[in-house]
Amino acid sequence: MQDTVLIVGAGPAGLSAASTVTASGYKAVVVEKEEILGGAPIISGYAKLVPSGEWAKDAIGRMVSRVEEDSGVTIHKGAKVESLDGEVGSFTAKLSNGETVTAGAIVLATGFTHFDSINKPEWGFGTFEDVLTTTQMEQMVSTGKIACPSDGRVPERVAILLCVGSRDRQIGREWCSKICCTVSANLAMEIKEISPETDVFIYYMDIRTFGLYEDKFYWKSQEEFKTKFVKARIAEVTASPDGRLLVKGEDTLVKRPIIIPFDIVVHAIGMDPNEDNPEIAKVFGIGLEKHGFIERAEHYTNTCGTTRRGIYSCGAAYGPETIDDSISQGAAAASRAVADLNALVQKAS
Amino acid sequence: MAIHEKSLIEPDRLQTTESLVVDGVDVSGSWNTMITPRYLRDYDDDFEKTIQKYGGGENVHRCWQCGSCTNSCTMYAQNVQFNPRYWIYLTRLGLKDEIVKDKDIIWQCVSCNKCTNICPKDVRPEGVMKALAHWMEDQGITEKSPSSHFDETFWEEIYHTGRIEDAAVMMGFFKRTNQPLVQEWLVLFGQRMMKYLPVSQLLKMGLNFIVTPRTKSWGKTGEVLKAYVEEQKEAAHG
Repeated sequence: MQDTVLIVGAGPAGLSAASTVTASGYKAVVVEKEEILGGAPIISGYAKLVPSGEWAKDAIGRMVSRVEEDSGVTIHKGAKVESLDGEVGSFTAKLSNGETVTAGAIVLATGFTHFDSINKPEWGFGTFEDVLTTTQMEQMVSTGKIACPSDGRVPERVAILLCVGSRDRQIGREWCSKICCTVSANLAMEIKEISPETDVFIYYMDIRTFGLYEDKFYWKSQEEFKTKFVKARIAEVTASPDGRLLVKGEDTLVKRPIIIPFDIVVHAIGMDPNEDNPEIAKVFGIGLEKHGFIERAEHYTNTCGTTRRGIYSCGAAYGPETIDDSISQGAAAASRAVADLNALVQKAS
Repeated sequence: MAIHEKSLIEPDRLQTTESLVVDGVDVSGSWNTMITPRYLRDYDDDFEKTIQKYGGGENVHRCWQCGSCTNSCTMYAQNVQFNPRYWIYLTRLGLKDEIVKDKDIIWQCVSCNKCTNICPKDVRPEGVMKALAHWMEDQGITEKSPSSHFDETFWEEIYHTGRIEDAAVMMGFFKRTNQPLVQEWLVLFGQRMMKYLPVSQLLKMGLNFIVTPRTKSWGKTGEVLKAYVEEQKEAAHG
């Protein structure tokens, strides 16, 4: 149908795209593989978002209800696109729930997959109960109580290890995941706020709190919340006989090896390409870039394009992205899709 | 067997014993030398707060280790061991033992304040150097510097009498720093004063030196001042 945009994925980018399509007077069909809408911030239970400081369930929840209440949006939950035929102006998608969707243009808002810390076993995730990921720590923050999972004690010290699953050739992840530095600084402040007796240490190689995140998160966490930043890439996390964790590495500023006791170690996990990307690339007939994210078309005049005409993308599907920028890009991709439909209408009349 | 890289190891890490048994095996003799590891084992989480209570150390927690202080430092240009950035980092993490290793150079800061002017985070490194030097004096890690002795003599004079008697301060300072009370330049200075100062002035000075008068109503004023000083000390250092 020439009046419909198919949107794959209902995270911040997809929800934003859907609302933009209907606001432009067209229809949106949203296909989401999970049973709930909202994407990573909702499914993984993020706490307060950067930079607004609003709880994810409130902020993203607002986007979800806006789409759910929108009569111009048809939603398919728990469904995937299994095959796609046609071309720009007349795509036909067959869904896993047996439905068929016809659309003039497509927006892939398929997002990312959190790095699985099991792939860095030397840092103790999966071995020690008190080694967590940032998403797990966010869930703990959401409960309003900071405690060691192993025995419920209040941690004296929390270590956040940056670049877990990012900037690491050993595991084939050569990209910077962009948001972890800021998210970690934000998390450090949230931990201190809930548990003032807990000291938070962030182990870094570089701090990349780009743009306005610099003073609002990095400086603030350091100056107002006494977060300590230690320049060391950690070699391994082990257990000490007293039940605490030992963080081992080289403090490159002191030029000395360190073995420091901690109560909780948090992995600031990076953003992997969506684990379904090979399948998505095959179904939609689009290319992936060398890391496995969706390949961007020439950006200057084909904004939000992919390698196939009529199919657009946005947000973390293209590579690590912030929630705010994913939302903007969702709107941008929707505009491109709508423009295609509009061109068809003009041509027909 | 000899350890060939001994020159690379700090002497205090070389542990040599007469007889040594490891896991039930006698390794005395040529295997009697062990090297203790260089691991840093813990942080002192309260040390930063301690230094922040000293004047000048208040902003130490702002540091992000850019190194502007060290690269602008007058003393660093003379001695690469003089590294304000490094000491600030140690202070933040509470690596006290490492700071104490540099006790004989930290006080060498000449207070040119180039670091304080250049610091993008307004850490005021010059103040941190002062704070560290004062902390080490307070802990007895370093001996009191001559300037601290002078400050204390000067201060005590005011504290007790509400005024400064130059000659008394000078003598007190000489005593504290184990200097002879009669010094050549001082004799010459005295002779010239006798020669050129009016007799009445000389008499007044001599009398003041002997009886050390107090400022009028110093009893009450002094007590208020002393109470205030105690209060401030309490607030700063608990």
